[in-house]
Amino acid sequence: MGCIFALELVKRREWEKKVADNKQTPPADFSELVTEWERNINEYSNQLMGTPEFAKSMNQFQNMQMAFQKSFSVTMAQQLANFNMPSRDDIVAISEQLTEIEQRLAHIENALAKTNVGMERPAPERKRPARTKKPPTKQKAKAE
Amino acid sequence: MSEQTQIASQMRELVAKTLQRGQKGFDYVRSGSAPVGLTPKETIYDRGTLQLYHYLPTADEVYRIPLIIVMATTNKGFLFDLMPGQSMVEYLLRLGFDVYMIDWDPPSMGEKGLGLSDYTQDFLPNCIEKVQQDAGVADVNILGYCQGGVLSLIYAATHTDGPLKNLVCLTTPVDSHQMGLFRLWANEEFMDLDNMVETLGIIPADFITNSFEMLRPAQKLAGQMRLWDQLWNDDFVKSYRAFQRWGDETLPLPGQYHKDCTKELMWKNNLFKGELLQNGKVADLNNIKIPLMAVMAEHDHIAPYGSTKPLLGLVGSTDKNELVLKGGHVSLIAGPNATKRMWPKVSDWLEERSV
Repeated sequence: MGCIFALELVKRREWEKKVADNKQTPPADFSELVTEWERNINEYSNQLMGTPEFAKSMNQFQNMQMAFQKSFSVTMAQQLANFNMPSRDDIVAISEQLTEIEQRLAHIENALAKTNVGMERPAPERKRPARTKKPPTKQKAKAE
Repeated sequence: MSEQTQIASQMRELVAKTLQRGQKGFDYVRSGSAPVGLTPKETIYDRGTLQLYHYLPTADEVYRIPLIIVMATTNKGFLFDLMPGQSMVEYLLRLGFDVYMIDWDPPSMGEKGLGLSDYTQDFLPNCIEKVQQDAGVADVNILGYCQGGVLSLIYAATHTDGPLKNLVCLTTPVDSHQMGLFRLWANEEFMDLDNMVETLGIIPADFITNSFEMLRPAQKLAGQMRLWDQLWNDDFVKSYRAFQRWGDETLPLPGQYHKDCTKELMWKNNLFKGELLQNGKVADLNNIKIPLMAVMAEHDHIAPYGSTKPLLGLVGSTDKNELVLKGGHVSLIAGPNATKRMWPKVSDWLEERSV
């Protein structure tokens, strides 16, 4: 640990000397060095990825992935059906139906709560502020 | 100060920071996700992927016209309400705006068929109606961010005699052919969009995140390096965690919506050409005559300046303003620069037009 501190200090002293000698403004701290590094990597990567060849390969890979996913999910669904088990699509469909039922229940509860207003003490209506505010400049002009 | 004293003080500083890094690094690893979106609000409308919030006013008096923030469909709206002190919503409430927000949840498989016109011709008008009822006022102002701005523009262009009085578009791309790498990667010659949408149904969040990350491949690692360097700094860590959570919670998209946006906006560039058809109506931006403010970021890598710049030239408004600020796609909305630059300019513009 001591070595690291010593190294960091030496680096800092060297850099301070360099600044004093050259009267230049090199990256002041670690954060600026990282920014510089990030900018260079991004620029380089964008050059690499900014070609029609890259776009073509990326899309070809994606199309291949889709084809594989499609055939795999069909095969898997068939296998699961053979084992008399639900597929992911079946589970998703059931879960969405459940969500819909929950939403309907919530609506029914709300509606019931509204019809019971007479029996229970209604929640006090939140007081809303008046919609009369004027922009500060106009207020100032009026005051003058 | 002598050289020895200087070395000693630098040494002390280094040791202190290293110790704090160790201790706070442990806290960071142990901590759960950052608390975000803390400004009190009520959900006044909930319809599948769509959520409409009303932020509880904090001023004694508010402007007559309510403001609806339309969030981009790929991300959660808490970017506008990251944390106390770094929340545009909180800032607007304090100034006396009555703020609503259209936010999005991950769409269910049953919503895979939602198309662009469902968002612009059904969701938006529907939410505006709810806001009118809730606020008891006929007029509304809209502030759209990124794709939320695109939806707002399409809505405004197809509802010219509607209740929308003023529109602010933040980093809103209108010329998709200027979208750099996105445009190149989504090349119609190579992309089998129909097959992708048919296979997936819902476009996964990972697909969206990866596309964003590929634009700046070193950003994530550089962010982690900065975090390590600044672990001793509580404010930095808090802000990093909030932004990280926002990035991690990227949303999936309905397949049909993704298909419509790619075909109509990206490939055909129909919004730019004024030829976009939505439920039989032409969304010609020249139809927009209401006051409009376009805010752009100089170093935006997601909606590059070239793609956002043409907006003012396309709309038919006479009262229109352009604001170009330093910063990127996200730092324009939240972060130190946003609080000093974007928020005051936008609120000044809106104040005059909200009475």
